[in-house]
Amino acid sequence: MNKELEHSFVTQLEQNQNIVHKICRLYTNDSDAHNDLFQEITIQLWRAFPKFRGDSKFSTWMYRVALNTAITLYRKSKRRVRTQDFEGVSFKIKAQEYDDTIEEQLSLMYAAVKDLNDIDKALVFLYLEDKNYKEISSTLGISEVNARVKMNRIKGKLRKILNP
Amino acid sequence: MDALELLKSKWSEREKDLPTLTYNDIYKMLLKKSSSIVKWIFAISIVELIFWIVLGLTSPESNKEFLTDIGLQPTLNVLYVIHYAVIAIFLALFYLNYKNIKTTDTVKTLMQSIIKTRKTVTYFVIYNVASTVLVLLYINLYFFSKKDQLYLLLKQGNDISESMAKENFTSVFFIAQFAVGVLLIGFILLFYRIVYGILLKRLKGNYLELKKIEL
Repeated sequence: MNKELEHSFVTQLEQNQNIVHKICRLYTNDSDAHNDLFQEITIQLWRAFPKFRGDSKFSTWMYRVALNTAITLYRKSKRRVRTQDFEGVSFKIKAQEYDDTIEEQLSLMYAAVKDLNDIDKALVFLYLEDKNYKEISSTLGISEVNARVKMNRIKGKLRKILNP
Repeated sequence: MDALELLKSKWSEREKDLPTLTYNDIYKMLLKKSSSIVKWIFAISIVELIFWIVLGLTSPESNKEFLTDIGLQPTLNVLYVIHYAVIAIFLALFYLNYKNIKTTDTVKTLMQSIIKTRKTVTYFVIYNVASTVLVLLYINLYFFSKKDQLYLLLKQGNDISESMAKENFTSVFFIAQFAVGVLLIGFILLFYRIVYGILLKRLKGNYLELKKIEL
């Protein structure tokens, strides 16, 4: 086993682990499932790592592999009983700074995003990560126009969920 | 402001309460994928044990009476005790496997633990199927050796058998027993095939992945 490769991989993943955690939180409902998904993504990343040439940023490449893993896994486990863990939804914002309605709105929005289907969720995630449509389209392997159209549709869907 | 835009503007603030893993945590993750599967094996075996115990406790009084009258109850009691003891041993083994896999930190020992777990599960399945077959065989041979008494006892409790001749009754009874026995064993096999089969397949997948990492 190439120790150098291993070291470089683990170091970079450690630095960028937030991305994976955010994806895990979005795609799972409890901490056990979160850890399982994190591990699965780690393994998929590690297997794909030798093919990562460094012509894109490590984090960009990570978005792609991690989201693909989450989407594939989510598909397989669609029939699993889904429980909603509100711990993962909560926003730890100081009560003095924001009033309850904003916090509540955020929680509802987050829950609505979590409830989207696997692909839509990936799109919204990248949008929330402040990626532009070019980056979104290349990460998800769809055209830029398609990404825009989809995103608009999702925005409408979310609005409908929150204001029925 | 639109709720999605609001979420987007607050998005980076949420990173504060994300978990943080250390270099070592991540390194070990390359190895430890199997523990959750083994945890499931452990959990399912406990549920299974509880199921059988509850089933044993809820069997109807008339059934127990009948078994006592025909003289089978003492033997069955002994068999129950042995059965639960064996299952308890398996339970302990499953737990040890789970603990081992959870604390393993080299690829090689993890691979060994996976092989061991797979073996334990296979033995568990073989034991369960074989013991069911043997106990059913024993009970029915016992019934057969006492078929006169069996006829009389069942006649007391049931109106249906009254109209039936003794020879007819014996053949109908054992054919029915045989059919139920085959169904039961079929059901057990199917259950293990589905539940443990899936878990074992996943473990095997992990094992093969690890083998790739190891090379």
